This record gives sequence, structure tokens and C-alpha cells, in this order.
Amino acid sequence: MRPEALKGHLDSLILAVLEAEQLHGYAIIEQLKQRSGGALSLPEGTVYPALHRLEAAGLLASSWSGAGRKRRVYRLTRAGRRALVARRGEWKAFTSAIEAVLA
Amino acid sequence: MSYIESLARELGRAGIGASRRGRILAEIQDHLSCDPNAELGDPAALARQFADELGTVRARRAGIAAFAALAVAGVLFAVAYLLGARGFPHRHADSAALGSLGAALAVIGAQVAFAAGTTALLRAFRRRGAVVLARAEAVILARRAGVGVAAGLIAMAGLALLAIEYHRGLSSSRTTLSVIALAFGAAALIAAAPAIISATRLYPRAGGDAGDLFEDLGPLVPSWLRGRPWRFALVLAAAIAVAITLAGIVQQDGYDGALRGIADALACLAGFAVLGGYLGLRSAGPA
Repeated sequence: MRPEALKGHLDSLILAVLEAEQLHGYAIIEQLKQRSGGALSLPEGTVYPALHRLEAAGLLASSWSGAGRKRRVYRLTRAGRRALVARRGEWKAFTSAIEAVLA
Repeated sequence: MSYIESLARELGRAGIGASRRGRILAEIQDHLSCDPNAELGDPAALARQFADELGTVRARRAGIAAFAALAVAGVLFAVAYLLGARGFPHRHADSAALGSLGAALAVIGAQVAFAAGTTALLRAFRRRGAVVLARAEAVILARRAGVGVAAGLIAMAGLALLAIEYHRGLSSSRTTLSVIALAFGAAALIAAAPAIISATRLYPRAGGDAGDLFEDLGPLVPSWLRGRPWRFALVLAAAIAVAITLAGIVQQDGYDGALRGIADALACLAGFAVLGGYLGLRSAGPA
């Protein structure tokens, strides 16, 4: 899938990946690849600015992980969970409408 | 030069502060440790993306923080007015000059604070879904937030001066409570300062227009006023004059109301002339 096709959906994808567990940047990108069966292979650098922006917007929180290598770990905030629910709803409504037309 | 060194240089060029820069570099370093062959993109483009996205969030947050602070300060301003300055024209000031100065600062400051704060919120709300704002737009947002808060502080100081100068005939506790309310209002405004300063330290780099007041107000502006900022300002000033005159008539003092209405309308036009361009109210603003 072309990276341009993901524009506008990256935030929702990041929120969804972090729904179940807290992850660091590299693990988030790997999760995106794995869960999409390799279809979502976006330029890796683009994920980090999005993570910082989502944190600045209050949808994510982050902290340095404990021992060993210095690693920033991200997790959803309460506002992030609400945003994810809202985006899922919007996405379902959008895909239903498109499918109804294309079918 | 390594990728990390290049990125560090580009982040600095993009205006990312030392603390944020260190964190980004640590994260990218960790990423490269996990996958030495990772393709993270051109360092300059990545640095610019950080500046664009973080600068956008900060500009929007500055607008919202300024409006929230002004809303709190506005309530305290009203409380202070009712406690310590209400009816001041009918009492005697200790110093007529200081009393007049206080009145002027309170009236003009409140008007500018309301206009700048409201337009900052309008822009932040209208562009709430934007991942990246144009630099010019972020500058306008930060300016509106900064001017709104600064004008709010001036209004607070003016009303405090008014309450102190016109204290005769009021109990000292009312004057004291009035000044305390104003101090809390000022504290609320100062609390918004870090968000505004943060926004001015990192602007997005993206090009584009700043937009104007008509885009912010959208369908609220009738078509015959669209794209005509001075006509819009004249209509607004006339509406202010009529409203204040009517309020004066209701208070059995139509003459005084008319004088105050005309003064406020002229202040509105003067404010539009002086700050309209700077705040992106009547033009596309700076690039």
C-alpha cells in the first residue's frame, strides 16, 4: 500500500496498536506491519513526529522504560481511548457508505 | 557524518529545543539499534516534519489556553467591577488623571482581550483537525493568544487602578476583595503564558496563507460584508455604539450612554486599525 494512502489514518492506526499494550516506537512500527500482514509499510521516520504530536495533543503519554537501553514507551491516555472509539465509529460509517456504493 | 549527527543538526535548524531534540535522538538511536538498516528518511525532511507537527499542536494549544484563561479572568473582572468599581463615574477619584487612565486601560484592554482571545479560539477550533498548519497561520494564532492575554492583564491592572482610585464611598473590604479578584484573574492569565511562549518558540515550517477573520467566522458573516474588512469593522463599531447607547437609555442616562457608545465604537475602529493586520483580522498576515 502506498504511503500516501495512509495519510489521514496514521493517528487511528497508532492509537489502535497502543490500545492493548504500551510500546516503544520501533515496536509500534513492527506491530503495524504485522497486524496488516505487511500491507502497511510506511516510511518509518513519519511515525515518530506523529507520536510526539499525539502526545502533545494529550492522546498519548510516554515515559522512559526502566533498565537497560534508553527507550521511550508510549501508552494511550483516557482521551486517547475516547478518540480511538470515535475514530473507529467514523471509519465504520465511512467504509459502510463506500461499500454500499461499490457493491 | 552519521544519520544521528545529521538529524541533530537538522532538528536544531528546524527550531526544536535541546530537551526535545535529545529525546528524539534517543528514540531514533534506539530504532537504529533495533534495525540498523531502517529507512528513516532524509534527516532534514524528518526534522521539518517534527517542527510542522509539534508547532501546529503548540499554536492550537496557545489559542485554547489563552481563551480559557481569558474566560476565567473575564468572570473575575466582572466580579471585581461589581465589588469595587461599579458606578465609579459618580464618585470622586483620589487622582483624576490616574482614575481616567485606569478607566481607559480597563475598557480598551477588555475589548482587545475579547477580540484577540475569541479570534484565537475560533481559529484553533476551525483548524482543530489539521495535522500541519501553515507557518503564517500558526504565527497569527500565537499572536492572537499573546495579545489577548497581554490585553487581559492590562485590563486587570486598569480596573485595579480604578478600584483603588475610586475607593471613597465604598467599604475597604469591597476594594480589597476587588483587587484580590483581579489578582486571581491576572494569575489565570499568567498561567496561560507558558503555552503561548512554547508556541512562539517552535513554528511550523509549512508554507501557505494565514487566512483572515472571514474564514474564521465562516457563515456568521453575511455575504455583503465578506472580503470587506473595513466595512465589517464599521458595522461592528456601529453595533457596539447602538448597544451601549441602548444600555444607557435603560439605565436612565441616554446621553452618557451615547457618549460611551461613541467612545467604544471609536476604540473598536482604532483597535482594528492598529492591530487588525498584526492579528490577521483584515489581511492574509505575514508569510
